[in-house]
Amino acid sequence: MRSITKLSLVAVLALTGTALQAQTNNASITATANVQTPINVLGAQQLSFGNVFPGVNKTVVAMDLANAGRFDISGQASTPVTLSFTLPATLGSSGNTMPIVSYAAVHAQNSTQTGGIGFAPAAGASPSLNASGQLWVWIGAQVQPATNQAAGVYTGSIVMTVVY
Amino acid sequence: MKRTWWIVIGAMLLGVPLLAQGKPLTVTGIRGVTFGAVLPGVPRVVLRTDPANSGQFDLKGPKSNVLLSFVLPLTMTGPAGAQMRLIFGASDAGYSLTQAIGSQVGFDPKQPFTAVLPNNGRASVFVGATANPATNQRAGAYTATIILNVTVLP
Repeated sequence: MRSITKLSLVAVLALTGTALQAQTNNASITATANVQTPINVLGAQQLSFGNVFPGVNKTVVAMDLANAGRFDISGQASTPVTLSFTLPATLGSSGNTMPIVSYAAVHAQNSTQTGGIGFAPAAGASPSLNASGQLWVWIGAQVQPATNQAAGVYTGSIVMTVVY
Repeated sequence: MKRTWWIVIGAMLLGVPLLAQGKPLTVTGIRGVTFGAVLPGVPRVVLRTDPANSGQFDLKGPKSNVLLSFVLPLTMTGPAGAQMRLIFGASDAGYSLTQAIGSQVGFDPKQPFTAVLPNNGRASVFVGATANPATNQRAGAYTATIILNVTVLP
């Protein structure tokens, strides 16, 4: 009888000692990204009409390396970018204005415009940076001084925006 | 005496832990989330259905209900400790009973999710996300760790 009692006690202990353990496990993975070079834009050269005479229109073509406006772009090599422009309709001087019209532009992957591609800046363009991450953009236009255009230095701002 | 031994044997059999009756639970990280080339200022999205770039975990265990919960990073870390935001949307995780990326039930990885392990005890969890670089994000390699916790529910 005693042995049965002892064994029953053992059985009870064995039963109550059984634990329900919830299984938990975990694992990890890695997220990776390679951030490319940010875009840098430099207004490298002004669009210079020089001396302008009243009543005589003057044009600077985009292919004029000395007088056309120039932007120098740097960023991630061989990556497409989108160019857009804000173009003034007039140049101003002490409250006087002079129309500026007929904008034209060229983009090229070298500083000498070799193989350059012409485009209308008002429409923008989507060229690619070269293998060194560079691109050059030139811009020309025409000023139309009136016959009674007041003398003075006339200026305006051309803004180019570049995004990937 | 024989009746005594039967009592002992019976007690021992009844005392067998339940763990020995089911499969062990394993969770395996199969594939990371790959954003690849990311341009400053341009968010990069990886969908959970992207077979090459989405993250994947494989589950194996007993046929049962399971609770899935993620430990999600807020940012990725890059050169010189630079941080890039990492965003997980409300449908950026998916659970697949068939382990097929084309057959998932979407869920919010930011919330615990209850699922069922099927008869064969196998399932997969897929993960997508959005990398959100700043316009002046420092160039270089960025990484982050995503953890999936799985618990078999009683």
